[in-house]
Amino acid sequence: MLARLFATAALLVGIAAGDAGAQLKVVTSTSDLYDIARSVGGDRIKASHIGEGFQDPHFIEAKPSFVIQLRNADVWAFVGLDLEIGWMPLLLDGARNQKIMMGGPGYLDVSKVVPVIDVPRGTVDRSQGDVHPLGNPHYWLDPENGRRIARLFRDKFSELDPKNAATYTANEQAFEDRLNAAEKGWQADLAAIKGKPVVAWHTSWRYFAEYTGMDIVAYMEPKPGVPPSPSQLMAVVAAVKRTGAKVIIMEPFYDRKLADVVARETGVQVLILPPSVGGTPAAADYVKLMQYDIAQVAKAVK
Amino acid sequence: MPIMPRSIAAALAALALLSASAAAQQGGAQGPTNPRMLPDVSAVGDLVADLSPKGSTQPDLSRFAVREVEVALQAVVDPYFRGDVFLGFSDAEGASIEQAFLTTTALPGGLQARLGRFLMPFGKQNTTHRHDLHTVEYPYIIQRFFGSEGLKGTGATLSDVFAPFGFYQEFMVSVTDRAGERAEGLTPAAPANRNLDGLGYSARLRNYWDISEATNIEVSGSAITSLREQPLALPAGAASGDVNAVNVRQSVFAGDVTFRWRPLQQGLYKSLILQAEVMHQANDIPSVVPPLGRPGPGASAPPLAYAGPTSGYTGGYVFGRWQLSRRLYAGARYDALQDPEAEGARFTAGSALLEWYPSEFSKLIAQYERTSPSGGPALDRILLQASFAIGPHKPHPF
Repeated sequence: MLARLFATAALLVGIAAGDAGAQLKVVTSTSDLYDIARSVGGDRIKASHIGEGFQDPHFIEAKPSFVIQLRNADVWAFVGLDLEIGWMPLLLDGARNQKIMMGGPGYLDVSKVVPVIDVPRGTVDRSQGDVHPLGNPHYWLDPENGRRIARLFRDKFSELDPKNAATYTANEQAFEDRLNAAEKGWQADLAAIKGKPVVAWHTSWRYFAEYTGMDIVAYMEPKPGVPPSPSQLMAVVAAVKRTGAKVIIMEPFYDRKLADVVARETGVQVLILPPSVGGTPAAADYVKLMQYDIAQVAKAVK
Repeated sequence: MPIMPRSIAAALAALALLSASAAAQQGGAQGPTNPRMLPDVSAVGDLVADLSPKGSTQPDLSRFAVREVEVALQAVVDPYFRGDVFLGFSDAEGASIEQAFLTTTALPGGLQARLGRFLMPFGKQNTTHRHDLHTVEYPYIIQRFFGSEGLKGTGATLSDVFAPFGFYQEFMVSVTDRAGERAEGLTPAAPANRNLDGLGYSARLRNYWDISEATNIEVSGSAITSLREQPLALPAGAASGDVNAVNVRQSVFAGDVTFRWRPLQQGLYKSLILQAEVMHQANDIPSVVPPLGRPGPGASAPPLAYAGPTSGYTGGYVFGRWQLSRRLYAGARYDALQDPEAEGARFTAGSALLEWYPSEFSKLIAQYERTSPSGGPALDRILLQASFAIGPHKPHPF
């Protein structure tokens, strides 16, 4: 057994030495992080992601095939704030890759660089639903946070692969330039959205609301993660009638039947909006995701 | 394994203090969330009701019971190990160490070792805690071969994950003090583990494929072998403490297959699991049985008759679970086996159940079961289970 261990170690050292000029292998928890990482890393990284854009990122199955992806990763980038708490520990334990374990050079908790909102105060317990004690994790839906994420990837990739640092810096700047240009294009939509009352299914649109200025007057979920109850539906109907909200914004992975109940009662529009890259074909990358979501909401509230 | 039941209160009080201390250290706005590096403390309650029409079918004949409370302490030990301790508390066993193991985190080549007491990596459902099952009890093949709480072992296991053929494979080998619980009242001439070939040795190979984005399949095989104490037929007047058992090799071979379907976009509401597991228990027959007498040298009485199993037993189950809505599931299981507790007589059982998850942290099961032992009357069982988890409960293995 000892001989095998030494042979394995020698093989790994050899592989590592031979891989010195290879692409960084980057695995991300969501398609948004994946797209931004790819924008920054370009052809100097080999990126993949675990969750799809039309999938609830809270409830991803920790499939063994993901373990294989993580086993050889140089960087594991995740949203953090307990978004992946239900599946990430299993994958990291299974991958047995010290580079991406907590404390390893490739363990990248992206939430560390964003200003977090909705951090609960006082006692937190599960009577409050799937509350995130460290704050709301859906921060990528604010483009300013998109920039922060890109800069974080630039710094991390440059740290792990310094000889390509200039490439990462240039790519990151190009990403910001593209986002800046797109942002100028959607200013009219932002003006249309600002101050408009909307209903959201889950708290995942809070950062989006902070950025766009839309006013979330009610949630379909009575508490985060808790399916709508009849009394909650009545409360939402009352909120829509009281505020004049014209739209219910919901993710593609929720069942729209209950939103349709409110729509029938009030005439409100049910808008299925992708929260992540790939959630719909039009949201093919991060900039297009923001562009699409802002345009759709603007159209609905006008 | 069981320790004094009166220690339960003391143990729980200590854990409560630990929990309170952990809670008190929260709230540092910008610092680490766990500056004192206290372990995660969690508990699982497992409550069972037996409303069977002809009386309770529980071992203690209770209609309502706290089957077990499990308290877990889990933390990283140092840069090389993490530690997990699961303490079980039940009316039947008092307090016991359910599991306690060190897991390596820094071995090269993807190797991982586990040292201590753990659920044996053998078969499919055996690797799941009983309170986390989709049925109230383990399948009968596990109960009959290994006991109602499944197969645990104390020793070491080494595993490796690899994908040389493009799909996930995991190989696990274990060596344990013994395979399964010691049968009460059996005294062999020497302990089964006196020689190294009497220890428990097991191996398991998992193979996993993604068939599509929504479907996957796992096909795995396991084997375990060890010496087990088997009874001897004592003559009338034999004294308590006499040798009344002989160590005989027993091996179990198992194969399991699990198919899962869960569409990514509608995964909150739709899913299907189909699972089957087959096991075969092979029992050697001793060529020589010891003479009657107390353990040790000098025994010279005539040999006794062997009263242990003289043939192998085979059995298995099929299980399916269909998701009806976000919180509700319907399931069914069919068990068939040669019952080792009835000299291999055929035993079958069919069950249907509803499983409701108010949240990820609580579960209610209502299960109807009809067991049909060969030559005996069928028995209808109605079982209810409520289980809950408090604290930072780790996610369940896939």
